[in-house]
Amino acid sequence: MNIKAAVLVVGFGLLLAGRPAVAHHAFSAEFDADKPVKLTGAVTRLDWTNPHAWIYVDVKDETGKVANWGFELASPNGLMRSGWTRFSLKPGDVVTVEGVRAKNGSNNANAAAVTLASTGRRLFAGSSQEQQP
Amino acid sequence: MKRCFTVMMSAVVIAALSPTLSAQWPLRPQPAVPKGPDGKPNLTAPAARTPDGKPDLSGIWMRSTRTEAPGSAPPGRPPLATFGNVGAGFKEGLPFQPWAAELVKKRAGALENPDALCLPQGPLEYHSDPQPREIIQLPQKTLIIYESNYGIRTIYTDGRRLPPQGEPQPYWHGYSVGRWDGETLVVESNNFRGALTGQPGDGWLDGRGSPFTDALTLTERFRRVNFGNLAIDVTIDDPKAYTRPFTVRVEQEIVADGSEMIEFICHENQMFLKLTGRG
Repeated sequence: MNIKAAVLVVGFGLLLAGRPAVAHHAFSAEFDADKPVKLTGAVTRLDWTNPHAWIYVDVKDETGKVANWGFELASPNGLMRSGWTRFSLKPGDVVTVEGVRAKNGSNNANAAAVTLASTGRRLFAGSSQEQQP
Repeated sequence: MKRCFTVMMSAVVIAALSPTLSAQWPLRPQPAVPKGPDGKPNLTAPAARTPDGKPDLSGIWMRSTRTEAPGSAPPGRPPLATFGNVGAGFKEGLPFQPWAAELVKKRAGALENPDALCLPQGPLEYHSDPQPREIIQLPQKTLIIYESNYGIRTIYTDGRRLPPQGEPQPYWHGYSVGRWDGETLVVESNNFRGALTGQPGDGWLDGRGSPFTDALTLTERFRRVNFGNLAIDVTIDDPKAYTRPFTVRVEQEIVADGSEMIEFICHENQMFLKLTGRG
């Protein structure tokens, strides 16, 4: 499934769930919707913080070089309403994250979907892009 | 075909989300919620009333996700506002004064959006934020606690009048007094911090930065349509920023599943500042 379809699906699912993802910030100032990323790696940390939770993932490139990426999730209150807790992911879990990259070119991105490799289950569905104009 | 695809994908998403039920925030039973014969909340039951017979607006409310095409509001009903754009329902957009139209263009980068800076949101951002708000209706005042960005508003219903414009220190939330007009709580507010202060975050009505100034008189008409639905008609009368007053509607739906307000401490880890080179 391409990124656009995934974003559409997640967005529609949230509409149905009646518990939209929560964003508080100027998404377009931080992230570039035209720079989609899809990366896989092992979780190194989950920061269950306001105004957005973040996960950090070690991603290996083609040469075997490892870079640590940060992915912004929705806010803890929104994630909790979607049924997730700070124990939903633990260091070492392998995940695939789809999202869009930070405008400043750093190894940061906004996550639209996080899929757990071991079960194929999608976690933290919900981009913080939802609230923007 | 597109619809088929959407329905199919929705089923996929529901299936994907369903395991979450066991992990939800603890729910508290709500004995006051009217139930239908099937035991589920009856959202079209009549609204509760206070001991003095007024409709009771109290409850936790989520914004409705209903949207409509510009110009499609039925006659007699104001168009729906969105979080991003108060004027989304007007075919012709908002009646900006020329400087206000220019300011909206300048604000397109959105770095000064009060929401992005974890400052109090504009009045219509608060009404239509996807985070809930709790209304607590008391005999002499009504409080609105917004989960987003520490918003708390006092609406005085003790018979006092609005203070003269410019008399009290201007407030982020304005100074609000309310009175009942039949089944509708009519709230008027003035003495807002407006866009012309030059302070970051001042005077944003909505997510795209449609401005308001210290000349704003805001009139909100709150009507609890039934147990499950709240309609708020908001009139923006600000001759400095707009060529004429206009009215929009925000719809909200009751939270009846027993979930409660959750704290949201916006400044805790404000990566926005770092990622935009401000912090």
